[in-house]
Amino acid sequence: MERYYAGIDIGSTMTKAVIVGETIVASVIGPTGPEHRKLADKVMEKALNQAGLRFEDVTYIVSTGYGRVNVPFADRQVTEITCHAKGLHSLLPTVKTIIDIGGQDSKGIKIDGGKVTSFVMNDKCAAGTGRFLEVIAETLGVPLEKLGEVSLSAESPAAISNTCTVFAEHEVINKLSTGEKITNLVAGVHDAVATRVYALVKKLNVEPDIAITGGGAKNVGLVKALEGKFGCALLVPPEPLITGALGAALVGKERYEHALGSGQTLTRSGQGLQEARLFS
Amino acid sequence: MTQSENGNGLVLAEKYYSQYGSRARELKAAGRKVIGYLTALGPVEIMTAAGVVSLRLKGNVSEAITKGDAYMETIVCPFVRNVFDAAVKGRYDFLDGMVLPHQCDSIDRTDDVWSDTLKLPYWHFLNVPHVTDEPSVEFMKDILRIFIQTLEEFTGEKITDEAIARAVTAHNENRRFMRELYALRITDPPLISGAEMMKVLVAAMSLPVDESSALIKGVTDEIKHREMPPSTEQGRRIMLVGDQVDDVAIIEAIEGAGGRLVMDDLSIGSKMYWNDVDATPDPIQGIAERYLRKLKLPTTFVGTGNNYQETLEARFGHMKQYIEEFKVDGVILFVYKFCDPYGFEVPAIRNFIESAGTPVLYLEDEYSISTLARLKTRIEAFLEMIA
Repeated sequence: MERYYAGIDIGSTMTKAVIVGETIVASVIGPTGPEHRKLADKVMEKALNQAGLRFEDVTYIVSTGYGRVNVPFADRQVTEITCHAKGLHSLLPTVKTIIDIGGQDSKGIKIDGGKVTSFVMNDKCAAGTGRFLEVIAETLGVPLEKLGEVSLSAESPAAISNTCTVFAEHEVINKLSTGEKITNLVAGVHDAVATRVYALVKKLNVEPDIAITGGGAKNVGLVKALEGKFGCALLVPPEPLITGALGAALVGKERYEHALGSGQTLTRSGQGLQEARLFS
Repeated sequence: MTQSENGNGLVLAEKYYSQYGSRARELKAAGRKVIGYLTALGPVEIMTAAGVVSLRLKGNVSEAITKGDAYMETIVCPFVRNVFDAAVKGRYDFLDGMVLPHQCDSIDRTDDVWSDTLKLPYWHFLNVPHVTDEPSVEFMKDILRIFIQTLEEFTGEKITDEAIARAVTAHNENRRFMRELYALRITDPPLISGAEMMKVLVAAMSLPVDESSALIKGVTDEIKHREMPPSTEQGRRIMLVGDQVDDVAIIEAIEGAGGRLVMDDLSIGSKMYWNDVDATPDPIQGIAERYLRKLKLPTTFVGTGNNYQETLEARFGHMKQYIEEFKVDGVILFVYKFCDPYGFEVPAIRNFIESAGTPVLYLEDEYSISTLARLKTRIEAFLEMIA
């Protein structure tokens, strides 16, 4: 009988669920956002439907992401650092450095054979995160998902010198009022984020191949700006949002199989598929 | 006098930890004079010899700074600001005076803010030098003599060399008792948890030396026969390095995630207890040398090695010894925001420890639990990494 393992990654803005058997059998992305905070179970349900499985068919569930402790139906919680490393390694085994740009934090992870050897994280301020791009997108009236495309037609990126989100927003508004083109502003903002992320990640002993994950990986303009800083091409997995959830499922699989190997059977928590106890 | 001899050591430590300064308050009510001080540079031997109750001040990581910032700039380190805020709010309203040793600029440059705001009967700024050569030791001896003189004027009592020598003996014994308690953390699992140990360390620095020694001995006697259940999942053994970490919050974050805090290089921990004062014919000589040269603080250090590697050994070699002796698997380096002295040392410490084969997690944070959630992810990821 094939065993199935689920991983659920509750990030600050998106909730991701992945189910693996021999291969990935389901992957679902849904919002975490204020009105969806309790929808972790719905995302999980969608993933089960996609795979044609019942909740009982899943052998082990691992939760990750900053909402990991709030998932009642998870059997174990593992940090997103460990899960990103595991998930990405299964997709792109040559990668030694991971840059993850999420909604609320950005991080750099050094890996060796899927194991974390060191990491850095910025979650103190919004600069260098997806939140910064969201704020700027709103200021400029450009849809978030179009930012990358818009920046590609910039002639000369505007210099955004402030690294604080609030001050940078003022700076962008000022430049806008003096006639700077939106394309140049967006490219300038990508450059500012890339500078910030580069400064963070270069604290690690960066080695190629370098991959980028998280929402930031979906922005071609930001990826291009980062490639300029690192001086090499960045690998982007087919769906950069799910590496954490995939890694969580794989950590569960590994733990379960390891336990079996030593004659033990890990049991499920026995909790049903209920609403997440998020942010209560 | 103390209740720690009847097997209630940990209970007493918990009491003095959670009601910080309560014993000093009682002693004040009984007619004693209480002098508060900051940092590991407070010369407790001299205060003990003067017959005053010395109380090392701490803040409260669970309490937001609400009043202190009206007097003190926010560029001052969060620890100093938090303690000052507590003082402004009257938490230490039983103090007769304070001594502020010059550990760092955050203390040096706020001395007048403290004294003008609190207006205590006794005030002293102890101008500790920052280099450790011979002229500096002479200078240190001079400023200790000035300190003695001001205390004598304040209490109206002469501080004799004999009284200082007795105090040196008492504090050295106190340090030895604490080292004996630390030794019970070498086993796996350790006989005392990191959170329990933190409470003992905090309680100990709030008591007169004899009561502190009785407390430590009481705890040691109580736990040395503890039967620890063999652990099913092996917890990683962690050493915490930093200045005044004086709350269990971060330790509970480490131990709640399955780690075990087995050693520290904190300014209220091993930094305080690993270095005795030598009994010298002039007792001031031994005290000056201990505070200036033996205490491993980032502000009072001048390289003594012939090359960089030797200098690193002189500055941080003790951490390597702790790692070996206490079988440490990973080191957490915790530095308060805006703490220049410790901040400057981070790359060197990190490099030194990692190159010897022990992973290091560097955390920079507030003196506040409001930011603990984001530290937890790093701590958990670090424990997963070294599992």
